[in-house]
Amino acid sequence: MKCVLVATEGAEVLFYWTDEAFAESLRLKFGRSENEGEELPALEDQLSTLLAPVIISSMTMLEKLSDTYTCFSTENGDYLYVLHLFGECLFVAINGDHTEDEGDLRQKLCVLKYLFEVHFGLVTVDGQLVRKELRPPDRERRVQVWEHFQSLLRTYGRLREREQCFAVEAVERLIHPQLCELCIEALERHVIQAVNSSPERAGEEALHAFLLVHSKLLAFYSSHSASSLRPADLLALILLVQDRYPSESTAEDDDPQPSPRKPRSSESIPVQQAWSPASTARARRSSATETDSFSLPEEYFTPAPSPGEQSSGSTVWLDEGTPPTDAPQVQIAEDTLQTLVPHSPVASGPRRIFLDASVKESHCPMVPHTAYCLPLWPGINMVLLTKSPGSPLALVLCQLLDAFSLLEKKLKEGQEAGTTLRSHPLMGDLRQRMDKFVKNRGGQEIQSTWLEFKSKAFSRSEPGSSWELLQACGKVKRQLCAIYRLSFLTTAPGRGGPHLPQQLQDKVQSIMQEKLTDWKDFLLVKSRRNVTMVSYLEDFPGLVHFIYVDRTTGQMVAPSLSSSKRISSELGRGPLATFIRTKVWSLIRLARRYLQKGYATLLFREGDFCFSYFLWFENEMGYKLQIIEVPVLSDDSTCIGVLGGDYYRKLLRYYSKSHPAEAVKCHELLALHLSVIPTDVLVQQAGELARRLWETSRLPLL
Amino acid sequence: LLTTRHRPGCVTSDLPLYSSPAPDFAAFPQTLLDQQELLCGQIAGVVRCISDISASAPALVRLRKLKFAVKVDGEFLWVLGCAVELPDISCKQFLDQLIGVFNFYNGPVSLAYKNCSQEDLRAEWDTFIEQILKNTGDLHKIFSSLWNLDRTQVEPLLLLKAALILQTCQRSPHVLAGCILYKGLIVSTQLPPSLTAKVLIHPAASRHQPCPCCFVILGAALPPNVRIMPVFLTEEEATSLREFPREQAASPAAAPARLQQCSAQQPPHPRSTGAPTDNATGHVEPMAWMLAATPESACPDVAWPDGKGENGHLPGCDLENVKPAKLHSPPRDEGPGLGSSLVKELHLPWGEEEPDLSAIHIPEAQETETSSGYFALPSTGAPDGGGPCFEEFVRDSGDPAPESRDAPPVVMAISSVLSPSTPEMLSQNGALEQHDDLPGDSSQAPFPREDHLPGRTSRPRSWPCSDLRQRGTALPEGEQGVERSVGAHDSCSAPGGSALPESQDDNGPSADRRDPGLAPASCMGLVPTNLYTHSVNGLVLSLLAEEPLRGDDAAIEEVYHSSLASLNGLEVHLKETLPKDAAASPSRTYNFTHYDRIQNVLTANLPQTATPQDRRFLRAVSLMHSDFAQLPALYEMTVRNASTAVYACCSPAQETYFQQLAAAARSSGFPSPQDGAFSLPGKARQKLLKHGVNLL
Repeated sequence: MKCVLVATEGAEVLFYWTDEAFAESLRLKFGRSENEGEELPALEDQLSTLLAPVIISSMTMLEKLSDTYTCFSTENGDYLYVLHLFGECLFVAINGDHTEDEGDLRQKLCVLKYLFEVHFGLVTVDGQLVRKELRPPDRERRVQVWEHFQSLLRTYGRLREREQCFAVEAVERLIHPQLCELCIEALERHVIQAVNSSPERAGEEALHAFLLVHSKLLAFYSSHSASSLRPADLLALILLVQDRYPSESTAEDDDPQPSPRKPRSSESIPVQQAWSPASTARARRSSATETDSFSLPEEYFTPAPSPGEQSSGSTVWLDEGTPPTDAPQVQIAEDTLQTLVPHSPVASGPRRIFLDASVKESHCPMVPHTAYCLPLWPGINMVLLTKSPGSPLALVLCQLLDAFSLLEKKLKEGQEAGTTLRSHPLMGDLRQRMDKFVKNRGGQEIQSTWLEFKSKAFSRSEPGSSWELLQACGKVKRQLCAIYRLSFLTTAPGRGGPHLPQQLQDKVQSIMQEKLTDWKDFLLVKSRRNVTMVSYLEDFPGLVHFIYVDRTTGQMVAPSLSSSKRISSELGRGPLATFIRTKVWSLIRLARRYLQKGYATLLFREGDFCFSYFLWFENEMGYKLQIIEVPVLSDDSTCIGVLGGDYYRKLLRYYSKSHPAEAVKCHELLALHLSVIPTDVLVQQAGELARRLWETSRLPLL
Repeated sequence: LLTTRHRPGCVTSDLPLYSSPAPDFAAFPQTLLDQQELLCGQIAGVVRCISDISASAPALVRLRKLKFAVKVDGEFLWVLGCAVELPDISCKQFLDQLIGVFNFYNGPVSLAYKNCSQEDLRAEWDTFIEQILKNTGDLHKIFSSLWNLDRTQVEPLLLLKAALILQTCQRSPHVLAGCILYKGLIVSTQLPPSLTAKVLIHPAASRHQPCPCCFVILGAALPPNVRIMPVFLTEEEATSLREFPREQAASPAAAPARLQQCSAQQPPHPRSTGAPTDNATGHVEPMAWMLAATPESACPDVAWPDGKGENGHLPGCDLENVKPAKLHSPPRDEGPGLGSSLVKELHLPWGEEEPDLSAIHIPEAQETETSSGYFALPSTGAPDGGGPCFEEFVRDSGDPAPESRDAPPVVMAISSVLSPSTPEMLSQNGALEQHDDLPGDSSQAPFPREDHLPGRTSRPRSWPCSDLRQRGTALPEGEQGVERSVGAHDSCSAPGGSALPESQDDNGPSADRRDPGLAPASCMGLVPTNLYTHSVNGLVLSLLAEEPLRGDDAAIEEVYHSSLASLNGLEVHLKETLPKDAAASPSRTYNFTHYDRIQNVLTANLPQTATPQDRRFLRAVSLMHSDFAQLPALYEMTVRNASTAVYACCSPAQETYFQQLAAAARSSGFPSPQDGAFSLPGKARQKLLKHGVNLL
């Protein structure tokens, strides 16, 4: 019983997602009240009818009381509603099955908002423009956009529930130094350099390339000119890849042959018309195969050729019995798709994404990149990130938008109209830059809006009121966003914009396949049993599980926790591992909540287990620095996490203020012990464990 | 804090938000009126909307700066606004508590708002809220705990004495159970926590004083400082208060024996006063309750963490050794002779206690006289105590019983004219009927209340009663629904009987004896009862009694006299021994809070004004308390931030929180056994022993 809704102030649905149970409950509700003959209103309309009062009330409250709803919970927590306002859009998450707590729901909303940013960049700044992107007037396109994000949300939910790396939101690496080195070299020589030296690259510059085995990172290489990639962005990319080429995480439990998966994109054809029946079928199948309760999207579990729902492309692969090793076949599916659904932004192939980066020495959020996801084998993917020539423009736009936002804030806060504003140092600078920008860019509309603004802000004869200025400011901002949208979204590679030619993509793909072909099977197994310390159960008697996270690099290390039947982890398999998994997940939740309230150390005993959580700072050499007061956040603040609002990055920045001289690193350790272990032994073990893990993490890997 | 009630009314619109009917406000001390209206309208709409989607109403609505606990009660909506810092669970408990208090003093909301003017109720709300705000400290807010006297500050014998006063009062007819408060704090209680919480808060005197039902006539007869007011128990509460006598009656021989076993200070006194069943009711039940409440010891009176209670574990000895010395003095003038003779008669093993009880027995000597006086009373207006007020309820509740339509006008006449010359009408309250029915029917009456009179007038008659009781309850015993079914029968038959006095004979006494007022109230799940309060300076004795008490002057007198001297004595002693706001010892090296989950009381050493360190403690406590409430398997927790570390542990019976105040050496947060945070459990165990908190 889950639902997510994004709506405007006027209760117009910008996006929604429901799981099958929730859709069913809606159907019952509306089926009962409506006349028999009449057709049920669309799910979207049902949701909007039901939730409109809440949305409108929440806006009214904001207007009248400058306070608004953040959460509702019904008796016994049966239903939980979390509301979060991002700009002008209200995000609502509902859970009716006790599987998620408030933190989870809020996190989900933050992640969704972050995914919007990754896809639309600075366009999200403007409510009206993002509305055009999220709710295109063309029905078909709207369905596509929504399906894309619905699928991303599903994938995110699955990953968060199954993968430790998504539970703690840090990248998990495959630890194999030798192989890693080999891959890095290949990525450097045969991918980045090969692309950047190719004359066909059409102005694109390859920045980063990395290899993923399922959701784990095998190797990562960045070109010299590239700025570093944030952990949050890397996680988001993993999420996108997992969405497009999902791992057969549960399927393989029953099916010894890793079955080929078809590209995500081809699924949008049948599903579009028959969304609900397909989902029902999926639910049925997952229960029939006794996989765990989480219902996975059907596309990647195909134990036998099953005619019907499958598109022809995937059936071909199945019949052949070989994985789609060659790109052209993938391309076939894409081509079919292209002909069927024109202008699909969700089509596989290169995709426009917006990531944090440094442009010309200055940090800039949401710089347009193009992501190429090149599948090597099922479960093993290579991702190539390129920068388009337009990124300096993005920087300028971003800076201008920033300045105008600041101005807007000042106008709203104080009554700084006319004269005071004009004399503000910020204004002079802004005027100069804007004049230059307008001159260079031309553009009829931006010119006229800017002139209008100037006349209001700088005119000596009739200075505009602050309200008028606000209006003018908003208009300029919208124009800037429109330019941004035009430059980076309308001409996005997915929509036929410039991108690396297919041959070049194929070339690097086959080179990497060649390089890794001997390692393929090893990697697939290794990713499932990524043992970091084989002996930890012996070395630390009483220790059941741990997760060690380096928040500076955004990477984590943990014994594998697979509840899969086929692959056993250190904790065995089946029910025990599942039980431990639920314990670990609840520990993560609790630790997050206490960290949100400023507690950096937590130790608690529940039933037969003892949980401990430690967060500490150290310098480059591993010297432990003194703990500081971690900020206490309110319940409705964005969560402790990486994907939605990079909490640890902010925390590190906050800590660094008091340690300007040295590079500060932040680490977390979560440990699960048996509760018979006395506290002092437990703490000693945790310390020893952290020391050992620190040593292994010193290995140069990137 | 803000409280609002709101009647959503009949909303037909699809968007209930837009049809916000005129809201009633109870108390909004801190928000502007138009904001209140806005809030009411918006929240009512949202509640409705959420109920539509989720098929259950929201219990909590949170804003950025406020949170609201919500409860839907028929067509009424209760909403309580709290600060966001307060844990969700406390916010909800707080609302439940407020609703409980309101219902306790005013009956069901719908009736209350029909019967009383908005002004009156608003004033009453103001009083409730004011009292709550005044007395509720930060810790109390977190735990929604009762306001109790710090027992470590009180001479344990005084607590014992208070308990004895209550036991004594319980022996009076009609009295069920009670509690003693000193300056708004609990000294001793026999009531379950939920009920004590309600008694703790007093309604505004102004509203209840002019109320004709309780004071105009009876007031003259009542001693000063005594008030009797109608209150309403929930059915569960009523059941729990009346529960025990049945068991005792069922095995009259076994019960006293068992009582003696578990607590020697409980007199097995089926004959010490006239109404054995009722005595037992109030007498035994709280005992059992207390036993449950203090699992670590079988003897609640000595289970208090008084530090010097080594011998306290032998209650019998304790009583014999200590009691005479202390407790004799104040009540001695009450004629110990009689008392001791009674003691002999009853073969009580610890007769020294009796002087305390002697007050009861003096009136008993004159019992026939008083009771005859009692029967005369109706003509002087005594029964109206139960009468008009509740008749109004009958009428106003729109009781569907057709007969009732005839009766109310007359009743109204009584209540307004207060004529003493309407005995026929008074029969509705049962006072007169009792007289008629007594000889024949008492033995058939299935209700315990019937027995008060016969029991008091003639002892032998009480025995059949108890037999009867036994019989009546034997079948359904063990079933929860019994009491309800009895009550339902009661309440449903009552209106008919009361409205048509002449039909009483057909209905039998069973129907009429219960106050007709019961009918509407108990149909709403509430049972009318009387609350007797006697205040002596800061000391207040509150007793819950069956309805007939109000009409029973003799009984009132008995209660009054049996407790008067002891109360005076207790008050003096408390005043003398209680430290005058001892400035919190500056040498405090730790903070602790011990919360008794069953009795719902706190022991803590936090000062009135919180230092920053105390506030950190409070913040940690509120977080951990919520988690203890949510995760039943969680039993120990240590949390630490840069400036403090707090240790907490809990069991099904208690929660304990401990913080060391000494500035801890700053650590890195890296797991290290030298870290002071991890030695907190040991320190807590050691330090808290002297507060009577045993964590071993």
